[in-house]
Amino acid sequence: MFDDPDALTSSDRRHYAECTDCQARYAGMAEDARAVATLLAAPDLKVDAASAFARVQAAPAAKPRLGFTLPILRPASRTMFAGLAAAALLVVVVATAFANVLPLFQPKTVEAVPVQITDLQALSALGDYGTITWSTQPQPQVVLSAADAKTIAGFNAPVAKYVPASVSSTITYAAMPKAVAVFTFDASKAAAAAAKTGKPLPALPKGVDGAKLTVTAGPAIVELYGNLKASANSSSQDINLPQLVIAESSAPVVTSTQVTAKQLENYILSIPGLSKDLTAAIKAIGDPSTTLIIPIPIQYATSTSVTVQGVHGVAVGDNTGLGSGVIWIKGNVFVVAGPLKQSEVIKVADNLKS
Amino acid sequence: MGVHLAEAPKQLVKSREEAFEALFKSEYTRVAGIANRVLADPHEAEDVAQEVFINFHRLHSASAQFAPAWLHRAAAHTALNRIRGRRRRERREQAQAPEEASRTVDPQQMLEVNEDRRAIRAALARLSPKPAAVLVLRASGLSYAEVAEALGVRTGQIGTLLRRAEAALRKEVTRGTSI
Repeated sequence: MFDDPDALTSSDRRHYAECTDCQARYAGMAEDARAVATLLAAPDLKVDAASAFARVQAAPAAKPRLGFTLPILRPASRTMFAGLAAAALLVVVVATAFANVLPLFQPKTVEAVPVQITDLQALSALGDYGTITWSTQPQPQVVLSAADAKTIAGFNAPVAKYVPASVSSTITYAAMPKAVAVFTFDASKAAAAAAKTGKPLPALPKGVDGAKLTVTAGPAIVELYGNLKASANSSSQDINLPQLVIAESSAPVVTSTQVTAKQLENYILSIPGLSKDLTAAIKAIGDPSTTLIIPIPIQYATSTSVTVQGVHGVAVGDNTGLGSGVIWIKGNVFVVAGPLKQSEVIKVADNLKS
Repeated sequence: MGVHLAEAPKQLVKSREEAFEALFKSEYTRVAGIANRVLADPHEAEDVAQEVFINFHRLHSASAQFAPAWLHRAAAHTALNRIRGRRRRERREQAQAPEEASRTVDPQQMLEVNEDRRAIRAALARLSPKPAAVLVLRASGLSYAEVAEALGVRTGQIGTLLRRAEAALRKEVTRGTSI
């Protein structure tokens, strides 16, 4: 009534004119509204939408350095997974260093390597030694159907012939065309990093300065099972986690210029902070030129070697029992994960049609 | 369709980015305004607004019908969540107080304005999420229909929700200042 006087009918008005009770209530409400309007007064806000847009576009969360956002994760989980993603990329780089064939790394199988958080931190220091740029920006996007996902990725979305009864039949498809990252070693950045930390950093071998590693990731399709939309009353932070995630991606390909495998290997393994365990584990990998190394944080999960679809895979079981996943390579790289028992995840994986 | 298959992903990406930019430019002022209404701090309000847009962009298509409503609700809730972290807020206000006081003609009046703002924000933080959001969204200039859409309730409920929320807020402010 106070907000919208036009909503009153003529009979309402007649009643109001004669009813002291209604007049008193109106006076009370009007007083509340006026008082709240005064109390909720705020300082002037002058915005520049164009420059704000530029800031949002440049924000790390909007354009992640490693190229893919993790929309389904709560912020608390994101740090760990971003660390894992960084480690995955950089361990691919390590694997490349082991390859005797200089220009090519294309994994045919997977192997788990236990890492500690300090290892991840040490590996992420590699970013201080050079610059990661994208010659083809990763452009993950949510699409409406498996057909749309195929249009973007260029291959059919995998079809799960078995999903546990507890998993919703609602599937959200996401797809990403091929993305190409270029890591360029930079001696001046390494020197600046050394000056900043005060720690002795390994000297760059001859030829490493300016060397480029080109990492091609994707195309990829991700299927998220479950209702991911936040409920009407939830805040922006409350996004439902998927009940099952199925992903298929072309295996990453790494090429390099200027630097020899041995130089790179020695250099990366000399980064301060890498544990002896990680160094030993990486060295123990049989054929690194064809092996994708999956870093598994020791305190978060255990990994086991499993057979999926007739090939070797790595299964990750969360120690808390809250989730598990399996990754394998059969032409493409496949991942099945969710808050499920490991046996269920492997059953989904075995019954996946690509 | 007249579109080469290989061009389709690029076009999808381009249209997605263009849609987001258009949404940003049409809604940013309002989203920042909602946050400012809660926080009474233009800098932090813009920070919240940008966080809200980043979250939206990561999760949803800008061409979704619910986009403005989602942004409005998220701005209110995110800003309200911030004032619930009261200790940090109070430390900042204490740090800002001398700066604001130096700009005003009447330091006593400025002190009272700051005190009122502190009291109202503390009271907002004590309200339940829905009444607090109704007040903030309506005070930010949203129509009843827009407030209803943002909060997922019927438009006809907004008048009653608003009246109750106003009364509750006044009560909370009185309670807060009389303690």
